Amino acid sequence: MSFPEQRANAIKELATDLGLDFFETIFEIVPFDIMVEIAAYGLPTRAQHWSYGKVYNRERIHGQMGLSKIYEIVLNNIPAYAFLLDTNSDVTNLLVAAHVYAHVDFFKNNIYFADTNRNMVNEAVEHAILIDEFIEKYGLEAVEHVMDIGFAVDRHVDVHKGLQRKPYPPRQVVEQVRKVKEYEDIFGDDAFMVSRAVVGGKMPPHPEKDLLWFLATYAPIEPWEQSVLEIIRKESMYFYPQFETKILNEGWASYWHAEVINHYLLTPGEMIEFGVLHSDVVNPGGRMGVNPYYLGYKILVDIEKRWDKMYADGESKITGKQKIFEIRTLENDVSFLRNYLTKELAEKLELFTYGYACDHHPHNKRLCPKCGEIAVKSRSLDDVVESLIATRFNYGVPRILIREISSDGTMYLEQERSDHRGLDMKYSQKTIDYVHQLWKRPVHMVARNEQMKEVTIRSST
Amino acid sequence: MKMQQIPWDLRRRGLKDSIRHDKRVKDAIRKNLKELIAEENIITSDGKKLVKIPLKYLDQYRFRYGTPGNATGQGKGQPGDVIARDSANAPGMGPPGDNPGGDIYEAEISLEELTNMMLADLALPWFEDKKTHQIKTTTYRYDEIRTKGPMSNIDKRRTLLENIKRNAAKSEPKVADLCEEDLRFRVWSVKEELQANACVYLLMDRSGSMTTEKKYIAKSFFFWMVRFLKLKYNTVDLVFIAHDVEARVVPEKDFFTISNSGGTLCSSAYQVALDHLKKCHPRDNWNNYLFHFSDGENQEEDNSTCKDLIQDLLTHCTMIGYGEINYQDDASFYGLVKPYSPHWSTLYKELKTVDSKRFITTIIKQKEDVHNALQHFFSRKEARRQ
Repeated sequence: MSFPEQRANAIKELATDLGLDFFETIFEIVPFDIMVEIAAYGLPTRAQHWSYGKVYNRERIHGQMGLSKIYEIVLNNIPAYAFLLDTNSDVTNLLVAAHVYAHVDFFKNNIYFADTNRNMVNEAVEHAILIDEFIEKYGLEAVEHVMDIGFAVDRHVDVHKGLQRKPYPPRQVVEQVRKVKEYEDIFGDDAFMVSRAVVGGKMPPHPEKDLLWFLATYAPIEPWEQSVLEIIRKESMYFYPQFETKILNEGWASYWHAEVINHYLLTPGEMIEFGVLHSDVVNPGGRMGVNPYYLGYKILVDIEKRWDKMYADGESKITGKQKIFEIRTLENDVSFLRNYLTKELAEKLELFTYGYACDHHPHNKRLCPKCGEIAVKSRSLDDVVESLIATRFNYGVPRILIREISSDGTMYLEQERSDHRGLDMKYSQKTIDYVHQLWKRPVHMVARNEQMKEVTIRSST
Repeated sequence: MKMQQIPWDLRRRGLKDSIRHDKRVKDAIRKNLKELIAEENIITSDGKKLVKIPLKYLDQYRFRYGTPGNATGQGKGQPGDVIARDSANAPGMGPPGDNPGGDIYEAEISLEELTNMMLADLALPWFEDKKTHQIKTTTYRYDEIRTKGPMSNIDKRRTLLENIKRNAAKSEPKVADLCEEDLRFRVWSVKEELQANACVYLLMDRSGSMTTEKKYIAKSFFFWMVRFLKLKYNTVDLVFIAHDVEARVVPEKDFFTISNSGGTLCSSAYQVALDHLKKCHPRDNWNNYLFHFSDGENQEEDNSTCKDLIQDLLTHCTMIGYGEINYQDDASFYGLVKPYSPHWSTLYKELKTVDSKRFITTIIKQKEDVHNALQHFFSRKEARRQ
C-alpha cells in the first residue's frame, strides 16, 4: 500500500515544530520478507554469512506465527533510511513515521553517535562486494571460516580507542636528549645528556581490549583475511552506540510518537487505533522481563514531570522538555538508568531483581530443595539498576583482555578481575581455539569457570 | 519527506544465507551421526516418513557467561518468593548473547535420507545365493511408447517429432497444428527381480538388570538395523525374540515397547531361535542372521549351555552377532566422564571361546558406540560363490 504523502509531510513538519532535529530521512515501503531480511542483517545489504540466514529463518518463522511483528526499521546514516512494512495501516505509518524521526534525531544528537559512520549503508554494500570477491578467489569455506572467527570476537572491540588505530611502536632502544641538570656538565661527558629508554618492550604495552584489532594487526594472516576482520570490526563499531543506548533511544522514540500524534488531527476511529498501537509498543512486558521501550518511556515521562514541577517551584532553570532534550544528548543506558531511575518510580513500576534461589549451579539438578527455583531477590533501587545495566555493559560480553604476548609468541588472555561472573567453559574453549587458528601460536586464557574457580584454558593442539 | 518503493522482490539474500545455514546444519548432522543415532525423537518416530530432528540453530561460539546473573522483573512479590521453576521462561538469566536459550529449529529430514546417511555403506555380510528365491525386489522402468496414456507421462520430444513428421508429409517440416494423433506417451512396466532369502533374528534381553538406558541402547541398535534392512532389502523376514528366564517370539511393535523384569537365562532365547530356525528357515534356503543384545548378566551355570547352543546355531546361520551393553553409570553413558575400561561378563568370556569368524561380538559403553556396532556387524564381507 502507499502512504499518503501529505499526511507523512504533516508528521515531518510537526516533529520539526516540536523541536526534533533530524537528518533527511528516506522512507521505503517493503514486503514482509524484506523487512525480516533487513532486521536479520541489520543493514539492507551486508556481506553474506550463514549466521544472518539463521536469524532470518528464525525471525521469519516467528513473524509467520505472529510471535513478533516488525513495523519499522531505521538506519543511522545520512540520509537516514526507514523501512515500513507494506501491510501497515495509515495510522501505523503515522506513528511509525513520528517514531522514526525521533530515532533519527537521537542518532544525530546523542554524543555516543558522534563518531559513527554516517555512510554505512553504502560502505556495507562495498563490504559485501569485497567479501563476494574473496569468496570467488579463496572459496566459500575459507572465507566463512575467517568470518566465523571474526564474529566470535566481534564484540571485543575498544570503542574508546576508536576505529582507526596505529600499531604499537616496535621494540627498540631510543636515545633521548634530556635536559642537562645543574653541574652535570662538569663531567664533560656527552653521554650524560642522552638517556636510553626501551620503547615497545612489552607487547602489548598495556592490556589490550580490542581483540579484533589486535588480531587484524598482529596475527600472521593473509591480507584478505585481515580485510575480513577489519570489515567485521568496522560494522561492529558502527552498531555499538545503538547497543549502549537501546533503552533511552526506544524510550525517546516512543515518547515522541505519542507527543507528535497528540498534536496531529486524527479521526476518532483512528485515535482508538493509535491508542491500541501505542499501548502495544510501550507494553510493560512480562513478569520475568521488562520491555525496554516501556522502561525508557516511563523514565522520560517521569523526568519531564519532575523537572516541570521543579521549574514551576523555581528549583530548576530548565523545563521538563528541555531536560529530556539534554538527556537525549548526553546519556547512554548505563548513565540514564543510574542517574534517572528513582526509588519512587522503581516502586511504582514494581521492579525487582530475580535469580536462582540457591547458590548451586543450575546444571546441578537437585542438590537442595531450592535448586531450580527462581525467586525474587531484591527490590532495592541499587540492585534493580545494577541488574538492568549488567546486560547493557561492555556490548553484553565478558570482559577479556590480551595481557601479554610472551617471547615465544604465546598469547595470554585474561578475564578482567572485576568481571564477577564465571564463563561458559565449552564456549570459551571453542573461542580460544578460533583465536588460535588465526594467531597460529598457543593461546592461553585465565578466567573463572562456572563454579567461579580460576582456570587456565589452553588452545588445543 | 521522501517515499520510495522499489522492486524488492528480486532480492533473496536472506533466503540464500538461510539455505547456507541449512546446509551447514545438515553437514553437522552428518558429522554428528554418532550422537544422533540414539536420538529419542527418531527412534520413537513410529515409522513416519519425515522426522523432525530438533536441532539447535548452529552455535556461534563466543566468550559468554556460564553462571546466571540476576535479571529484572516486575510485579508483586517479596524477596524470597518463588516466581518460577527452572530457567525455561527466564530470558535474562541464561548466558547473554544473540541466541535466546534453548531455541530449537526443526530440520525436517526424511527418515530415508537419514538412514541413507548413516547406513549407506552397510550390507548383510556373507550374503549367499540360495536354492529357492523368495525375496522379490520390484523396480519400475519406462520402456515403451504408446499413443494413449496419462497426460503426466507425455513424451514431449517424441510428440514434437511426430508432429514434424506429419507436417513434413505435407511438405511443411515444422512444428504446427499439434493434434491428438501426434501425442506419444511413455509407459512403464514392472520388473521383478528375485533375490536370495534372508531372515534376521533379533534377540533382546529384557531381564531386570537391563535398565531403561541399556534397553534403549539395544532398541536404538535394532531400530536402525530394521530401517537399514527395510531400505536395502525389500523383503527380509524379521523374527523378534525377547527373553528373561524364558523366551518367546513377539510381534515387532511389542518388541520395541517391552518392559523388563525377572532374571536372565540367555540359553532360553537361543533355544527358541534354534527351534524356530529349524522349523521355518532351513539353511539351504535362507541366509539367517542372528543378533543378540544383553548386558551379559547371565546365570553362570547357564553360560556353557549358551556356548553349545551358539555352536549349534552357527551351523544354521550365516552370521551371529552378540552385543554386550556394558557401562558403569549414567555419567559415562552420556559422555560426561570417560568410560571405564570394560570388564567383560562371564557370558562373554565363555562365548569368546567360540571359534568362528562368523561369530562377531562387540561391546557398547556409551550411546555413540551404537553406530560403531552397526558398522562392525554390517561391514561388507563377500560370500564364497557356491
